[in-house]
Amino acid sequence: MAAIYSLYIINKSGGLIFYKDYGSKGRMDTNDSLRVASLWHSMHAISQQLSPITGCSGIELLEADTFDLNCFQSLTGTKFFVVCEPGTQNMEVLLKFIYELYTDYVLKNPFYEMEMPIRCELFDIKLTQAIQKDRVALLGR
Amino acid sequence: MIGAGKIKQYSNILEKPLSKGKQEVSLSAFAFLFSELVQYNQTQVDNISELERRLEDAGYAVGARVLELLCHRDKGNRRETRLLGILSFVHSTVWKVLFGKVADSLEKGTEHEDEYMISEKDLLVNKFISVPKDMGTFNCGAFVAGIVRGVLDGAGFPAVVTAHFVPMEGLQRPRTTILIKFAEEVLQREARLG
Amino acid sequence: MAPAAPRSGEAIFSSVDRVNAELFTLTYGAIVRQLLNDLEEVEEVNKQLDQMGYNIGIRLIDEFLAKSNVSRCVDFKETADMIAKVGFKMFLGVTASVTKWDADGSCCSIVLEENPLVDFVELPDTCQGLYYCNILSGVIRGALEMVAMKTEVTWIRDMLRGDDAYELQVKLLSQLPEEYPYKDDE
Repeated sequence: MAAIYSLYIINKSGGLIFYKDYGSKGRMDTNDSLRVASLWHSMHAISQQLSPITGCSGIELLEADTFDLNCFQSLTGTKFFVVCEPGTQNMEVLLKFIYELYTDYVLKNPFYEMEMPIRCELFDIKLTQAIQKDRVALLGR
Repeated sequence: MIGAGKIKQYSNILEKPLSKGKQEVSLSAFAFLFSELVQYNQTQVDNISELERRLEDAGYAVGARVLELLCHRDKGNRRETRLLGILSFVHSTVWKVLFGKVADSLEKGTEHEDEYMISEKDLLVNKFISVPKDMGTFNCGAFVAGIVRGVLDGAGFPAVVTAHFVPMEGLQRPRTTILIKFAEEVLQREARLG
Repeated sequence: MAPAAPRSGEAIFSSVDRVNAELFTLTYGAIVRQLLNDLEEVEEVNKQLDQMGYNIGIRLIDEFLAKSNVSRCVDFKETADMIAKVGFKMFLGVTASVTKWDADGSCCSIVLEENPLVDFVELPDTCQGLYYCNILSGVIRGALEMVAMKTEVTWIRDMLRGDDAYELQVKLLSQLPEEYPYKDDE
């Protein structure tokens, strides 16, 4: 029973820099995932413009019939979003935690170039641990 | 060489009391600094061995200074004259001061008389670093190897010191081993001392 | 969900992993030494240190944001306070203060009471033009650029050069507006 289906990280220009699939449907085709990320980046920006108040930080939660999408955007413009089972709780906490993993295992890696796709083994390992822990915690309820 | 400027409190930096070594900075601050050290050196070299050498050289100067500092502050100017003494100093005292803990293990090489290994499951400098597959066996621990070489050299135990990743059963990630190969003269002296 | 409250520099510093400042100081010394060796000209070293600081700043800002829970700063005054009270404290464990604000609030000085970069350091005659701590000016500049502020950061006082404190002037040049990129990026 997978509560989290997938995780995406987009750089400030809308480029997909990380995509991990946890669901049973199988990994999305690379071109599709790039397109989806780019579209989300645009929608997120548009949502900020649609707001009647200035300083809107954009879409944080999108609820659909078969999934929820939780999104976190840092003040630097990097977006982290998860696609999960409808009604999954505490995704904002998870996203914040993933943001911290990013600041540790991606940004402190001298072999990582800013804005480029993330290929850091330690980030993958820590991320998997975090998602597993979350899955266990959710199943335990 | 003394700079021409005056420092208000002390006319000579040598009069300023030596710090107790208790001040701290965040691990992140060090990690970002170290990452930049590696990145800068990458721009200065054409291949991995050169990068290793540059990191080792950078560490060497740190090692030499650490030795002076610790001998004065923590050891009351006592000097190690035996091999096991200096190895223990590196494995315990130096490691504790620099990395906050003693090294995981100190072992004698089984194949060669002149080899010793200090190992760490999670070397501090490598904590956040994932080496890309195309860089082969490169280990940023080369900086620490340099530190060790600086300490040993300054203490009168010249050696060749290198850093290696060693896969371990049961560990998800390989541990780092600092391999110390002592110069012939060290072993001869050690034998003479009995 | 209500956003978490912003955390103080002291609180963050006590909660993160820390290392002996001497490791940090000695490693920085090794970097400066390498640069002096490679570049020979003191002015080039100053530039390189600033660039390295910039490279660090653009990465460090995300950790600052993640750990401090700070929301968008209302004005530059708040930004400067954040750098001095939270930034310097959580990374270097040092206290800094903000002074000398100009009339329109776009320029101020950050004064460091302590500076772990410079323990044991003395500038020799051959390096009198060196801004030993120039990495710090780059860090601030890089970090602020990532949150849409273009700044100019310069040293006003440097204890290694004979002054009685470490003082950095931070001047806000422009605040880059957030725009939806209607054109595709190159």
